[in-house]
Amino acid sequence: MRPFAAIAAFSGLFSSCLLVCAESTKDFTPPQAFKNVNLVRNTNLEKGYAREIINVVVENVDSEPRSSYYLAVPTELFDKVGGLEVRDKKAPEKDRFAVDSVLVESSSNSQYFVIDFPEPLAPKAQITLGISYYILNALSPRPATIEQSEKQFLSYSFSAYTPSAYPTVTQKTKLKLPSMNVPDYTVTSGLKSGEDPERLGTTYTYGPYDTSKVAPGTNYPVTVRYEFTKPVITASLLERDLEVSHWGGNLATEERYWLRNNGSALKNHFSRVEWTVSNYQQMPSVSIRELRVPLKPGAVDPYFIDDIGNVSTSRYRPGKLPARDASLELRPRYPVFGGWNYSFRIGWNDQLSSFLRKVSGGASDSYVLKVPFIEGPKVPEGIQYEHVVVRVILPEGARNVRYEVVDKATSNGLPNTDNIKASVTPHKTFMDTLGRTALTLTVENLSDEARDAQILVSYEYSLWDSMRKPVTITAGLLTVFVAAWAIGNVDVAIKKR
Amino acid sequence: MAESPADVLLKGSSGRTSRGLLRIIILATIAAAAVSSRLFSVIRFESIIHEFDPWFNFRATKYLIENGFYSFWDWFDDRTWHPLGRVTGGTLYPGLMVTSGVIYHILRFLTIPVDIRNICVLLAPAFSGLTAFAMYLLTCEMTASPSAGLLAAAFMGITPGYISRSVAGSYDNEAIAIFLLVFTFFLWIKAVKNGSIMWGALTALFYGYMVSAWGGYVFITNLIPLHVFVLLCMGRYSPRLYISYTTWYALGTLASMQIPFVGFLPIRNSDHMSALGVFGLLQLVAFAEFVRGFIPGKQFQRLLTASIVIVAGVAVVGLTALSMSGVIAPWSGRFYSLWDTGYAKIHIPIIASVSEHQPTAWPAFFFDLNFLIWLFPAGVYMCFRDLKDEHVFVIIYSVLASYFAGVMVRLMLTLTPIVCVAAAIALSSIIDTYVFASEGPSPQSTASDENSSSEGLRSTRGPNVGISSYLSKIIMTSSVVVYLLMFVAHCTWVTSNAYSSPSVVLASRLPDGSQFIIDDYREAYYWLRQNTPQNAKIMSWWDYGYQIGGMADRPTLVDNNTWNNTHIATVGKAMSSREEVSYPILRQHDVDYVLVVFGGLLGYSGDDINKFLWMVRIAEGIWPDEVKERDFFTARGEYRVDDQATPAMRDSLMYKMSYHNFQNLFQHGQAMDRVRNSRLPADTPQLSTLDEAFTSENWIIRIYKVKDLDNLGRDHISATAFDRGHKKKRATKKKGPRVLRTE
Repeated sequence: MRPFAAIAAFSGLFSSCLLVCAESTKDFTPPQAFKNVNLVRNTNLEKGYAREIINVVVENVDSEPRSSYYLAVPTELFDKVGGLEVRDKKAPEKDRFAVDSVLVESSSNSQYFVIDFPEPLAPKAQITLGISYYILNALSPRPATIEQSEKQFLSYSFSAYTPSAYPTVTQKTKLKLPSMNVPDYTVTSGLKSGEDPERLGTTYTYGPYDTSKVAPGTNYPVTVRYEFTKPVITASLLERDLEVSHWGGNLATEERYWLRNNGSALKNHFSRVEWTVSNYQQMPSVSIRELRVPLKPGAVDPYFIDDIGNVSTSRYRPGKLPARDASLELRPRYPVFGGWNYSFRIGWNDQLSSFLRKVSGGASDSYVLKVPFIEGPKVPEGIQYEHVVVRVILPEGARNVRYEVVDKATSNGLPNTDNIKASVTPHKTFMDTLGRTALTLTVENLSDEARDAQILVSYEYSLWDSMRKPVTITAGLLTVFVAAWAIGNVDVAIKKR
Repeated sequence: MAESPADVLLKGSSGRTSRGLLRIIILATIAAAAVSSRLFSVIRFESIIHEFDPWFNFRATKYLIENGFYSFWDWFDDRTWHPLGRVTGGTLYPGLMVTSGVIYHILRFLTIPVDIRNICVLLAPAFSGLTAFAMYLLTCEMTASPSAGLLAAAFMGITPGYISRSVAGSYDNEAIAIFLLVFTFFLWIKAVKNGSIMWGALTALFYGYMVSAWGGYVFITNLIPLHVFVLLCMGRYSPRLYISYTTWYALGTLASMQIPFVGFLPIRNSDHMSALGVFGLLQLVAFAEFVRGFIPGKQFQRLLTASIVIVAGVAVVGLTALSMSGVIAPWSGRFYSLWDTGYAKIHIPIIASVSEHQPTAWPAFFFDLNFLIWLFPAGVYMCFRDLKDEHVFVIIYSVLASYFAGVMVRLMLTLTPIVCVAAAIALSSIIDTYVFASEGPSPQSTASDENSSSEGLRSTRGPNVGISSYLSKIIMTSSVVVYLLMFVAHCTWVTSNAYSSPSVVLASRLPDGSQFIIDDYREAYYWLRQNTPQNAKIMSWWDYGYQIGGMADRPTLVDNNTWNNTHIATVGKAMSSREEVSYPILRQHDVDYVLVVFGGLLGYSGDDINKFLWMVRIAEGIWPDEVKERDFFTARGEYRVDDQATPAMRDSLMYKMSYHNFQNLFQHGQAMDRVRNSRLPADTPQLSTLDEAFTSENWIIRIYKVKDLDNLGRDHISATAFDRGHKKKRATKKKGPRVLRTE
């Protein structure tokens, strides 16, 4: 665990920490300072989004030490990349590398992320990079419309040559598909001797190719189409509020989802008869039928509502302290088929004591809050979040708010802290005078892998701050009584008493 | 005798304060009971808006708090009555929405984040607490007995006649209107008693609030003049009466004219003429009283007779002329239906089709008022005993409201307050007689009586009033207590079982006794809200218009406002005609989806097939040649949906939409309609111009998508026939010239 970035904000003031390196250059080509000695790309398509891990051995071919490695991404995918994380494969316990995006003219075929090595790479030296990210909305249903109980197929297109800014000596791509039913896949010709791709179960391997002669940026389109028996769950927006109450000893969580199923749309309309029959026979369906949200043990008062009230079709299995998770089973009002939307909100309460620690020693009345970055449904098909807003609402009068993301040796699904927009604003509610301190974190393109990520929020909060509300209310009531007494004593009669 | 602590508390000056405190505590408890007995539905289901009209009020309230008061005032709603729209701001009573808007903004000012839905849901219970308090004030004006007011407040708090319209979630105009009604009457009585301009002005103020809140304000507009008129006829003219009435009429009329929906009605509509007439009469009487002071009696008599004849003549001629020329609007249809219960059925089927406009069945009186209904005449009789001005009011109110409650079920609501007053007067005098006035004359007073009255006749001595027998005291008080307990039990039972269902959410029991919630309405409405374009037009029968507007947030063709009978008849015609006739109607009105309610799977009796005859009747009122009610009955006069159903029935769009695909859920030939208990034809009706888009879990709501024009230019019937693989019969081949489609 290590502090990545810390924002210090004086109460009510907002300080941005986002630094986007916006170099807009025409016909930009990265300086050819590196060479990819060996590149292995693992693409995992088992979920509703594409997960890629690229392990690449990079060698400095320049005459002087270099530290900026450019990662090429096709332009049409650039806005869909999320959770980009780069590490030194040989030393995974070390920090992530800093990553910035470079904006190139949009007509260009590739856009770039620039990876900064902490220490420049000496000439002829090599480094092994582990680059992991996921691509949202990269899987398209083919055919786009199906019958209600038909099978759903997704197709994924990519280049057999991994996009790169530098020449690559050898490379291969491993595809992990969710099912054996793969009606279409591109068979390459002339890229290598022998069968390409090689199939082993649900794993398809393209390559290895010797591409030392191939110019960087060469595209060899490959498409796979495979059966996907589950819905493609996409949240176009997730708003998550965590409200800390010292008086109540309570951590209240509310999450608002705008869900969509990006799978194949219905060719004809929804047929209830067919649905009832297939439900009766317990046939699998590509609609969102149920979502399970695991909650922390000890979570109480869960609710599941949408714009028009309580959704009665939910069940809650309470957990048991200290170990057994609670589970909230949500069943949307209707099965959400491809192209349909469903928005709802869920919420629950937790005991604050399992999330908040008072920092002993040092400055008095300093607290540290450790909460998950996102929770939400845990489903085998995964969920992609296009836009996530997490708001941590601290008690009224909390000062010196800092946050950091708890980092582990493996990916936690979150992008670098630079790509998390943070702001501190006041939030007025429940008879506040100053307003509570709300820390808002905004992330684009996230997947449910970020469920494992935890954030630490530290703040200062004094005894007087906690007494502010009772004092204010007492003073307010006193004012009312005094005013009533004073007005009652005013004699406004016209005639004499 | 040593003073007990209770005596210290209840007697003397400290007694007065402690009695006052006690009274406040009792009133607060009554208010709490009134509120909590209305929360059944919130506890059983959730905080949700009930039924139909409240959904519109809720939507309007949301519009008010989102867009501010002025744009609410000028609100033109293009999402209802497509394509006509509705001048909503000018055709509603804004009092309810403004009240919750004000409460919302006060809470916002105190930074208490209460959802507007919760304010709307809990407004009616909160105001029922206030009604109980207003009832206490009103009854205290009627009688000297201290217990009557508290009893009346308690009755008002829990009587089902009022609860029926004010449970949590029933966010309708009546929610605040009954409080305003009772409070306005209290202020009026106060004004008449004191002859004070202040009370008169306050009456006018609350009358104005009442006008802004409920169309039932006409009841006040007519009752107060009637009270004055009766008092004048009884020869009880007094300056007090003059001051209070003129103040109320002048200010109240001005206040009521501020509401756009009311506008100039108070001076142009016949419903309001009695108030104006009594106002004029009162001026004449006051003038006559004034003149009487200057002219000797005999001449005054002659003058009076002459002027009465002249004034009456002028008034009759003038009124006739104004009515003929149309300056004064004739009586409204709803008003006629109050006098002739058959009127609506013949002339305005749309009013008659609403169940709450039906005449009241007599058990309903007992159901809604329990033992109050037989205490009511006793209370009215007691008002006759000391006939002060305010008692005249009670008597008039009782007579009028009893009649109206007999004519229309919903007017039970206006009867309830006066029943509570009268019953409380009667019951409190029983209690006073049997509990308090029971101590026989004490020895000292008897002695002094003997001394003072020894010279007079026995009969003129202070009468020895009161019941001294303990047995009769115990019997009477215990029976009263038993009746009160039964009343409370009855009220709770009625509230819990009859009046606490949101009707949006239905509940049933599973075999193991656990509650099973049938949430089909919201399932379908939410599907519409999430998965159809924002401007998709939904056609349904008008009952569901407000709910679709509120929950699905989609434009509708007709809704519960029912201001345009022709438009409703158009929908009725589309529902009751063959597809060939309906489809052009649907196209012309831009309809994207058609929604029907079907209870056949579950046995839900409030579905569209059962309402279908009203659609037919209303359509027949406009197109008597095209839609005929007779066609929907079999030769033997039965309304059937099975094999015996008439061709008109089986070809109607409503029938087809209700039963489309339903047969496929059962084994062949086994399809049962559980509402009408009839076995359906083996084959499912064929729909060719609509596609089934969504059907809710228990089939209660079925939504159909209107097909676009056929790509190949065929009509839909032949297109569907082609799709099903039927060959076109040679014989039907037309040989005429080809005609371009016109649409």
